[in-house]
Amino acid sequence: MSKRRGRNKKKRRQVLIPLASMGDIVFMLIIFFILASEFDKRKNLDLELTESDQIDDPDFPIAARVAMDAEGELYFDGDLMDSVKSIEYAVKAKVLNAESDAQRRVEFQADKDLRKDQFEPVLKAIAEGGGIIEAVAKEIKED
Amino acid sequence: MKFKHRKKQAKKHRSGEIPTGSFADIAFLLIIYFLVATTLVKVKSITADLPTGEKQADAQIDKTPTLMLRDDEMLFNDNPVTLPELNERLSALKLPDKDPGKRIIMLESTDSTRYEVYFHALAAIDAAGGVVALVEEEE
Repeated sequence: MSKRRGRNKKKRRQVLIPLASMGDIVFMLIIFFILASEFDKRKNLDLELTESDQIDDPDFPIAARVAMDAEGELYFDGDLMDSVKSIEYAVKAKVLNAESDAQRRVEFQADKDLRKDQFEPVLKAIAEGGGIIEAVAKEIKED
Repeated sequence: MKFKHRKKQAKKHRSGEIPTGSFADIAFLLIIYFLVATTLVKVKSITADLPTGEKQADAQIDKTPTLMLRDDEMLFNDNPVTLPELNERLSALKLPDKDPGKRIIMLESTDSTRYEVYFHALAAIDAAGGVVALVEEEE
C-alpha cells in the first residue's frame, strides 16, 4: 500500500520552467538585432548583373552605393540622381573624412548591357570623388 | 469627518507599479517582426582603384601591356584573346612581384563596349594583381 501512495505523489509533481529571465533575454536579442542590422539602401532596380567567377566578398564597410539601371538612370544610396557630376560630389562628401582606404569603398552595380559611354563616366566620377570602386557581380553557380 | 480621514489613508498606501507582465510578449513580437522583415543581402564584387586624371607620356604608354576592348572582343597587346587566355597571359606577367609602378595595364575600349565585357577585363586585371589605367582618345 505504501508503495502505491509513493507512485501517486510522483505523478502529481509539477515541472516548473523558470521564465523570469525570458523577457531580459528577448530584450537583449532585440538590442542585438537593432545594432547589427543595416538598412539596405539599394532599391529594386531594373538591372541584370554580370556573372563572374572572379569575385570575392567585398571589403567592408561600404561608404556609399551607386547603381545604374538598364535605362541608364543613376542612383546614389537609393536616390535618383540627375547627372554624373552630382555622383562625383556625393562621393566626395561621403569620403571626405575617410581616414583610410577601407573607408573609401563605393559599391557600384550596373546593368550588363550598358555601353561604355554610359557607365565609364560614372566610374570616373567615383574615382574623381575619391572612392575606391567595388564593382558588384553575380556569382556563377555550379550545377 | 471620520470617513474622509480613512479615505486619505487608503490613497497613501496605493502603490504605483508599472505593469511589466506583457513586456516579454511585446519583445517577442518585435523579434518576430525583425526576423520576418529582414532580408539578408550578400553581394560579391571586385575592387577597382582607378587612377584620377593623371596623364602619362606616350613613350611610357608604349611599354605597358595594353588590353583593348572592341565591342565583345578582347585584344591583349593587339592579339585577340578569350577570357581564360587573358587570365593566363596576365598571370604570366607575374605582376604581384613587380613594383607598383610597373603593374599598370592600359585599358582601352570603344564606346560600344558592353559593361559585361568591361567588368570581365577589370576582374581579370584585378585578379592578376594589376593596376588599371584608362586610355582616353584625345578630343
